[in-house]
Amino acid sequence: MNTSADRTVHLPDSPHNQRIARGQRFVDLIAYVLLMFATALGFSVALGGVVLLLASPASAAQSVEAAQIAMKPADARQGTLLFRGDQVASFAVPLLGTEVDIQVSGPLAHTRVVQTFSNPSDAWYEGIYVFPLPDNAAVSRLRMRIGERVVEAEVQERARAQATYQQARRAGQRAALLEQERPNMFTTSVANIGPREQIVIELEYRQTLDYRQTEGAGRYSLRFPMVVGPRYIPGAGADDEEVGAVVAGARIDDALRISPPVLGPAERVLNPVRIRVSLDAGVPIAELNSPFHSVQVIRDGERRRRITLSEGNTPANRDFELTWTLAAGSAPTATLFSEPGEHGRHYALLTLMPPAPFTTAARLPREVIFVVDTSGSMEGESIAQAREALALALRRLDPADRFNVIEFNSDSHALFDDARAASDANVQDAVRWVERLRARGGTEMAGALDKALTGKDRGERVRQVIFLTDGAVGNEQALFTLIQQRLGASRLFTVGIGSAPNSHFMRKAAEAGRGNFTYIGKVDEVKTKMSALFALLEAPMLKNVEVRWPAGARVESWPARVPDLYLGEPIVLAAALDTAAGEIEISGDAGELRWTTSVSLADANPGTGIGSLWARQKIDALMDRLNTGSSEEEVRAAVVPLAVEHHLASRYTSFVAVDRSPARPAESRLEGGAMPTNMPHGWDHQAVFGELPRGATDSRWHLLLGSALLALAFALWLAMARRTDNSSLAH
Amino acid sequence: MKNNDLCRDCGYTDFLGVECAWPSNASLGPSRAELAKRPQRGRRFAAIAALMLALGGFWQIGQAGYIHAKAWLAQALIADAWSRTRDGERQARPWPWADTWPVARLRVPARKVDAYVLAGANGRTIAFGPGHVFGTAAPGEPGNSVIGAHRDTHFAFLQWVRNGDLIELDTHQGRTVRYRINHMEVVDKSDTRPLTQGSPRRELTLVTCYPFDALKAGGPLRYVVSAEEV
Repeated sequence: MNTSADRTVHLPDSPHNQRIARGQRFVDLIAYVLLMFATALGFSVALGGVVLLLASPASAAQSVEAAQIAMKPADARQGTLLFRGDQVASFAVPLLGTEVDIQVSGPLAHTRVVQTFSNPSDAWYEGIYVFPLPDNAAVSRLRMRIGERVVEAEVQERARAQATYQQARRAGQRAALLEQERPNMFTTSVANIGPREQIVIELEYRQTLDYRQTEGAGRYSLRFPMVVGPRYIPGAGADDEEVGAVVAGARIDDALRISPPVLGPAERVLNPVRIRVSLDAGVPIAELNSPFHSVQVIRDGERRRRITLSEGNTPANRDFELTWTLAAGSAPTATLFSEPGEHGRHYALLTLMPPAPFTTAARLPREVIFVVDTSGSMEGESIAQAREALALALRRLDPADRFNVIEFNSDSHALFDDARAASDANVQDAVRWVERLRARGGTEMAGALDKALTGKDRGERVRQVIFLTDGAVGNEQALFTLIQQRLGASRLFTVGIGSAPNSHFMRKAAEAGRGNFTYIGKVDEVKTKMSALFALLEAPMLKNVEVRWPAGARVESWPARVPDLYLGEPIVLAAALDTAAGEIEISGDAGELRWTTSVSLADANPGTGIGSLWARQKIDALMDRLNTGSSEEEVRAAVVPLAVEHHLASRYTSFVAVDRSPARPAESRLEGGAMPTNMPHGWDHQAVFGELPRGATDSRWHLLLGSALLALAFALWLAMARRTDNSSLAH
Repeated sequence: MKNNDLCRDCGYTDFLGVECAWPSNASLGPSRAELAKRPQRGRRFAAIAALMLALGGFWQIGQAGYIHAKAWLAQALIADAWSRTRDGERQARPWPWADTWPVARLRVPARKVDAYVLAGANGRTIAFGPGHVFGTAAPGEPGNSVIGAHRDTHFAFLQWVRNGDLIELDTHQGRTVRYRINHMEVVDKSDTRPLTQGSPRRELTLVTCYPFDALKAGGPLRYVVSAEEV
């Protein structure tokens, strides 16, 4: 539009003046650009300084926490979580499917686990699978099935069984081996699975179910674990004098055996499990509950239920739990099963519910030490559950109580130097501290236990240690020993956190600590479970339990000494005796009352597998001697004949089955080995196995983008300037 | 035929069918004032766009500058905390609300590198300086000490180091440990072998992102430089 010439500024249009104008403009431009860069740089430096000095009031709050953490550089060492990362991606074969059939009758369960190893490839394979079972499982049978052929496994001393297996493996014969790594952790090895072949391993175990009575209602719980979470293997902390000498024994030999490869975060979950439970409670069932899996329940009368998973199968990545409450008033006070054994022996299993202790004495003030596991394995859902549980527990403290909170990962840190009164201000401090806990690093439990069990003598005060953890450690034995040695007048209560807690650790640590254990598997459960725990902590106990067997009978009963019982806990006794008649008389101090009851052996229900349960109890008791300084040889010598006689798997005895017919031709190689397991549900892969630090910023990207934008702005400005030029020149 | 477009109020009841005395606005064309304004509006738009672009550019360059300024300024503040650490103070914080503290001083004389190593190697810490990975051996102690930093700030020099180069590390007790680089490799971030402990010797592992010339952060590769005590 040339009309615009009317209002534009008139320049004298001599060529000389034009040149001058252009030159000026160019200089202007350069100056502008320089100014832009200088300003941007100055601005950014100033901004950097300001942000550095003023930023993040949030982290200002953290410094309080950090100030209390006294990290000594010298003990920032850690062991290794053995993980062979890259090998995991290339496993594929063999594949595993598991079927579980659980038959419950009253307080007993008989379970058949069928593991199908299938080889879809054209090569010969070996599969080694690490899996969990309930920590009180008496594994009494193993069979290997190849098509129609069935090979019954025999129990052999562990080293011999391993040799038998290795020999068959080399000879190309199909073979299966079941070894116990921990009471709740087993390994199945299957050799020479032919191309496109399946080998089925069937194992059977019996167990007694966990029974508790709360407010008159009896409640059974059945837990079937499906995955072994990665365990932390403690490093050599032995030279750290402050931690105590017991740590020196913390190194463990079977680290590799208990650390199967774990699936990466991007991989699809493996190992589908199908679960069927056929439940006969013996008395009417009021309520049935499966907190972690959706189930289909078929009602079969008042006492019986059939339970299957709604989705058919589930990946093996978390515990399956089933709890049932008995109808009010129908809970039996005593159940007695007996089974005749060899040589005129009889086995008996007695579960007896004592009356709730009664006392008029005022509640003693307590000193409660909370210990919370903040290692990498707790990251994710577990730490959220633990934080919630802790906050709840802290708020329940009485102002007369004293308390402290200890968190541990590769190191342990206490909130206060010493236990403090549970005043409102202190509790608020603690709650805030707990809310900021993050989970990372290793699981050096010994140091934390040591700190928790070391305390000033408070005279009348009851000292209770509440230990929240997933128990993902490999040095259980050393920890039990430590607890036993350092316990003193304290009592240790374990709270198993997360989707796959180490049940063996929970139970045995509580036993060594003369306390009790409970589980929290999801945040919804925190309130009920912690309230139950607190009711238990505050209630008087049943003490000095005495058992009198029929006069003249030769009896061997386990546990040898009945521990003091917490509110709602039953007395469970397994005995071998030479008579099937007579009375068992049990008495105890229930608060201020002396309580006595008797059960007649003649009234016992016939039961199967009572002998294995008795033997399993005895092995348990023998293994406990390791905590009190008995040597491994001594314990082994006692356990092996017992396990062989009762056909049980134990730490020192394994099941081995060999199919004598040769299968793999000598020229074919045997592939495979350790089979990967899933990461337990809700665990964070990176927090457990670590990751290399990230080491890059976006600064270059910002610089490029910024320069591009400035260039664009400059171009636009230039275009504008030129047009103004043109229009003025066109005049 | 009447042309409603050209006449104002043609629909009016008193309309007589003759051309109105007042032509409608639409028939008049642009006014003088408008004619004067129009090209100016385009210019204004362009000027605003240029300004916005320039501001965006400033902001982006500012961000880049901020990252570098932080890395550089923090080291100056840490220098003071380090001298306090050397005087025996535990966890001397470079600024009052810091959640980290210097644990060592790292020097590569051949590359004129001199940086204070902080405790912890999370993103928040390594913005200020190389970070010692929690749980690995303390710097200068027996075992494998792992230190991470950004490839475009403190560890940019790693792209030029070669086997045999010397790294010096001052511990807070005042001892100087000399390491010689013996291995360099590129690994995936989930490959935790570089974090492995267990060697009784003093080892130093420096980790940064790879490739060095990538524009954006967040890639899966890490450049790992291993060194052993001389």
